[in-house]
Amino acid sequence: MRMGDRWTWAAIITGATGIGMLAAFDPATSGIFPPCPLHYLTGWYCPGCGSLRAIHQLLHGNLAAAWAMNPLTVIVLPFVAYGLISHALSVFWGRALPQIFLPAKWIYALGVVIVVFGIVRNLPVYPFELLAPGAMLRL
Amino acid sequence: MFCPQCGANNADNAMVCTQCGRALQTAVPAVPQTPMMGTPMPAAPGAMLPPGSVPNYLVFAILTTVFCCLPAGIPAIVFAAQVNGKLQAGDLAGAQQSSKNAKLWCLISLGLGLAFIVLYGMLIMAGVLSGIGHRYN
Repeated sequence: MRMGDRWTWAAIITGATGIGMLAAFDPATSGIFPPCPLHYLTGWYCPGCGSLRAIHQLLHGNLAAAWAMNPLTVIVLPFVAYGLISHALSVFWGRALPQIFLPAKWIYALGVVIVVFGIVRNLPVYPFELLAPGAMLRL
Repeated sequence: MFCPQCGANNADNAMVCTQCGRALQTAVPAVPQTPMMGTPMPAAPGAMLPPGSVPNYLVFAILTTVFCCLPAGIPAIVFAAQVNGKLQAGDLAGAQQSSKNAKLWCLISLGLGLAFIVLYGMLIMAGVLSGIGHRYN
């Protein structure tokens, strides 16, 4: 077995375990999931805060609740899932799924969007405060 | 084949790109396409290299940024952008260097995330154990 295969298997097993646990337990109420390091250490929300709770809600079909937890995750997740499946297929099957080439500018823009999202969701000002994890649920 | 102008994937015998309309058969040298990622192919200097010929690890960069921690994931995204920018400019060596850096920062981000999870787990264990100790003291 090639090294890449072994890492891919490890990632698939870890990912499947994680998804199973996220489906079974709600990170909002159970304490078994680790908190975001940045939020734990500083109290600030990072761009990914609420992503585990969002995935839990998505696994239960609650799109609105997932959106309230982390809209960025809900938008990005389909693309990330596609990329991961494509990568796994290229390792095992030797063929990737069709890819769109992203010009460098788009990737820089994506990075800026992630950073700006992480900053504005900490602002205690309407409407940015709605981007904090779960804030939209209290509307 | 991939269009050298916009990067769209076209049929190998396509005369023009389905996305941007650029002529393909005359402009593109007959470069053998391999479906595997990470196998760079020689091309004319300055011409755009085949998209995906150097992995940019963007998916992993986003994953580690959103699920681990912000600071280490951002360089990974920047290097992923550099890979595609250098591919667009036909700079194979530069793209490979950026690709290595993108991978490195993905691993750093992943490592920091895992280290935090382990540390947090140890703190929880210590907290639980000392809690038990207090109860019986």
